[in-house]
Amino acid sequence: MKLSTSMTLNRITDEVWEIPASEKAGMLVPARIYATEQILSTMDSGVFEQVTNVACLPGIRRYALCMPDGHWGYGFPIGGVAAFDTLDGVISPGGVGYDINCGMRLIRTDLTLADVRPRLEQLMTELFRRVPAGVGSKGFVRLDRRKFEEIMRKGARWCIDQGYGWHEDLSRIEEQGCIPGADPSKVSDRAVERGISQLGTLGSGNHYLEVQVASNDRIFDPQTAAALGITGHDQIVVMVHCGSRGFGHQVASDYLKVFEKAMRRYGIAVKDQQLACAPFRSPEGQDYFAGMNCAANSAFANRQVITHQVREAFSSVFGRPAESLGMNVVYDVAHNIAKVERYAEGELVVHRKGATRAFGPGRPELSDRYREVGQPVICGGSMETGSYLLVGTDQAMRDTFGSTMHGSGRTMSRAQAKRSVRGEQLKQQMAQRGIIVKAVSMSGLAEEAGFAYKNIADVVETVERAGITKKVAELRPIGNIKG
Amino acid sequence: MTHRFTFLEDVALADTAFQASGDSPSELILAATQAVIETMVNPDTVSPRWHRTIEHQAPDLPSLLFDWLSDIVYLKDAHGVVFHEATAVVTEDRPHGGWNARGHLTGETVDPSRHELRADVKAVTKHLYEVRRDDDHWIARVVLDI
Repeated sequence: MKLSTSMTLNRITDEVWEIPASEKAGMLVPARIYATEQILSTMDSGVFEQVTNVACLPGIRRYALCMPDGHWGYGFPIGGVAAFDTLDGVISPGGVGYDINCGMRLIRTDLTLADVRPRLEQLMTELFRRVPAGVGSKGFVRLDRRKFEEIMRKGARWCIDQGYGWHEDLSRIEEQGCIPGADPSKVSDRAVERGISQLGTLGSGNHYLEVQVASNDRIFDPQTAAALGITGHDQIVVMVHCGSRGFGHQVASDYLKVFEKAMRRYGIAVKDQQLACAPFRSPEGQDYFAGMNCAANSAFANRQVITHQVREAFSSVFGRPAESLGMNVVYDVAHNIAKVERYAEGELVVHRKGATRAFGPGRPELSDRYREVGQPVICGGSMETGSYLLVGTDQAMRDTFGSTMHGSGRTMSRAQAKRSVRGEQLKQQMAQRGIIVKAVSMSGLAEEAGFAYKNIADVVETVERAGITKKVAELRPIGNIKG
Repeated sequence: MTHRFTFLEDVALADTAFQASGDSPSELILAATQAVIETMVNPDTVSPRWHRTIEHQAPDLPSLLFDWLSDIVYLKDAHGVVFHEATAVVTEDRPHGGWNARGHLTGETVDPSRHELRADVKAVTKHLYEVRRDDDHWIARVVLDI
């Protein structure tokens, strides 16, 4: 097997590889990578370097982990999971990412492909009009500082109070859409100024809103699918991928600066400047945690307002209230976040960066609705292939701090993708395959071509065989909105 | 004036990296500014209707460039604008040991119907960040989170 690293990799199982703690000076725990041989051979050298750097951070417990969609990131690899003791461990903005609480939301409908196909062009135009995307886009919700601070504290709950959603939506969102401990006094004016007009916007890059189809032949576990509201028969669903927008990006940037200085004060040395961190219990660590939670709640609110707009668009095109179209939220998951969770080792601050929480059945953190089946996990593929709905497992609780993959993971640079295809050309090719694309930026569209990503089916197969999540359904795109 | 910058491949798989250069710190900061502007929009499609003077002080040139570029990303979101052009003059404050930059940005409120929009930059990062001097030549490598 040819790899991009010369590090020692011991096979634990066919899907789990371990880099021993003896491999690099300063490693406190081994690093574990979830991948098949084939996926491992496509991983860039940054994954191995970065996951072993993470294994050197103070207070890390058990393993530094990387999921099969892993690739190079800032400090932590994308796909990285690491848990630190809340008493003697650190918190690191590099373990969360710039887009705090970037995440996925899935909305079901009672509509079928036969209902939607004749009006798909009209539907995509209406969605594109109602959900702003791209550089500098602004949302329709006008906020002052006081209201924005309420959003920081209340997250999706604020939206429901304002009529942007249904009360039952909250039980279908990780943390019920509101993480406690958010403190608006811990975010800068610049962060507020960047985010205050962006509620209900998608952004750009790999963020999207997608209309998808759940067909019978792509449902792998009909019983669990039914429990999640996925009934097949070419059912139409809507997937949203976005985060905390400029607000969260600025919170991350601000605290990276704070932590660079704090590390000197606490005598912490890191292998990479982007791994800047501070003791979780330190004033700086607690301030970041409070500020990060503000951004996380704003991201839940962002996806909630987008959900409202999606319902309005469907209602307008199909001439029926969203309630009668069965447009319930299936689930909403964060895949860039740090959270305090309890494991055998005690209370840990679990960082997931491009990784999704995947709690198994019975966990008290899950709402009654999903406690029996396990937490829904939403994994976005490229806009040309498909996405997946999965559920968490007990094994994930034992092996990966209740974590799994988040998407397919890039294998090609943006520049190379743009050289390989033009945006207009890709749009036409996708239209010929029955996928309507509305994009603000044609160059941005080319950057997100399907061939720039790993095959998501291989990635999903890996986490299924590793036992850390269970496949429920594959969802195929028929319409995509990009920034 | 032609700004010297090159987008780098295989440095940031999911993001954008560039190398900028100049024969002076002022030329360097302008070239890097142009790279950030062109990552977000084709500046030829943007009119100079919005104006802003920007000023920064920093203890060293790498910090000055980092803060300057971060300010452009902040202004893009806070004012909902994309940029047409920038000017910048960098001076070294020899008695006090620091660096100053003062310049001007022009642009206009985002209008997708007229502007050829590209990627929304989330942040300027410190990943592989480097500012160095080769004789009388100044070079910076910057990775932008997209």
